[in-house]
Amino acid sequence: MNDMRMESRVDAQTVKIEARKVQVHYGTTHAIKDVDVDILDKTVTAFIGPSGCGKSTFLRTLNRMNDTIVGCKVGGKITLEGEDIYDARVDPVQLRAKVGMVFQKPNPFPKSIYDNVSYGPKIHGLTRSKAELDEVVEKCLRKAALWGEVKDRLQTPGTGLSGGQQQRLCIARAIATSPEVLLMDEPCSALDPIATAQVEELIDELRSQFSVVIVTHSMQQAARVSQKTAFFHLGYLVEYGETGEIFTNPKDPRTESYISGRIG
Amino acid sequence: MTMNSDQHILGAFDRDLEAVQALIMKMGGLVEAALHDAATALTHRDEELANRVRQGDSAIDALEEQVHAECARLIALRSPTATDLRMVLSVMRIASSLERCGDYAKNLAKRATVLVQMTPVGGSSGSIARMAKSVQVLLKDALDAFIQRDAVAAYRVRQSDQEIDQFYNAVFRELLTHMMEDPRNITPAMHLHFIAKNIERVGDHATSIAEQVIYLVTGEVPEGSRPKADVTSMQES
Repeated sequence: MNDMRMESRVDAQTVKIEARKVQVHYGTTHAIKDVDVDILDKTVTAFIGPSGCGKSTFLRTLNRMNDTIVGCKVGGKITLEGEDIYDARVDPVQLRAKVGMVFQKPNPFPKSIYDNVSYGPKIHGLTRSKAELDEVVEKCLRKAALWGEVKDRLQTPGTGLSGGQQQRLCIARAIATSPEVLLMDEPCSALDPIATAQVEELIDELRSQFSVVIVTHSMQQAARVSQKTAFFHLGYLVEYGETGEIFTNPKDPRTESYISGRIG
Repeated sequence: MTMNSDQHILGAFDRDLEAVQALIMKMGGLVEAALHDAATALTHRDEELANRVRQGDSAIDALEEQVHAECARLIALRSPTATDLRMVLSVMRIASSLERCGDYAKNLAKRATVLVQMTPVGGSSGSIARMAKSVQVLLKDALDAFIQRDAVAAYRVRQSDQEIDQFYNAVFRELLTHMMEDPRNITPAMHLHFIAKNIERVGDHATSIAEQVIYLVTGEVPEGSRPKADVTSMQES
């Protein structure tokens, strides 16, 4: 009966990122409080919660994007495959090659489509020849479901693409460094429903190779693409569990209120 | 931002859910009345009342259709989750149960009109009237548990269905005795037996409504087989 199981079930149980007692302070503001979470490999994990709940802040701690913010202090422990990512010996640039990120607004470099994707492998020295680089660019554009649409105009500016194509280009760029984890902060909020569906389909395909963490304001998107869901509220991780369970029978009344669209 | 309110931010969502609940209550009221009237028609040999029950069933069927249409609309437009989702799912099943109960009441009324033409069999219609009374109470309790979102009351309903089963066992034996005494009793006794069986089925539906209430409130389907006391299928006569 194995082939009859629901597709949404989590298959892999390997922990990719382990966060323990994570705290984030912005100056005097305590934005993330005691967050413990295990992000699984080959799984899409959705972070949901009202604006200002800390979900984006927490996402950014996972590849040290908060390092660049003045007055931001991260406490607790976050490990990627057992290694502390806040260890002094870790180079944040190398870390971000392993933990890629896609942002809310498509932000391609003002360069050609080809250069957008080849930039990462080039600066990290991941390829040895032009032929190999060509291969990586094609592979990533194919994975991002964009190849067919851009293969004849790789030298045209990435900014000339439509919004949905630009976002898929950013995903191709993010996966070009062969990351282990892909972080996505509201990747579809600037896209129309068709482009959203294409990106969601892409996310689902990517999970066979990566661990994907997505922050979304769309509850339905979280329900559609993720296998695990984490609900944040006021800086706390309130509930973390299997997506199907969270959306049919959440255990915490705050989760229930949020996902069913209630406040008091 | 405070949480944990009963109300949706989108007021129309609450109004939709309330409207569906109101339809269920209307259905429940009609079904309870149909059962009551059908049982009265049987004991009072009132053919006219029985005919009214038979005609009234189409209104119950129409309400079930309306509940299903409203639920489909809710799913399409509101994407219900958590309790809201369980509410929609359980309401659809409760509506189906009530519709079946309406059919049983109609069948009871139909047989009552046939029995009016025959000689009464012993005191059987009295036992059946008591059984019908108990099952009405059970159905009412199940619907009250639904309105109150009271899982404890729902568990109680689930337990009390045994009493209906015991009633049925007693009527079954009583009718067998009458049939063995005098073969002329066989036709009316068979009708009475079907009536008793249908009332017993209403009890089963009341139980399944109670189970839906438990699912709605707790998110869990009650575990284990429910208590059963209908032994007529296991004994030889």
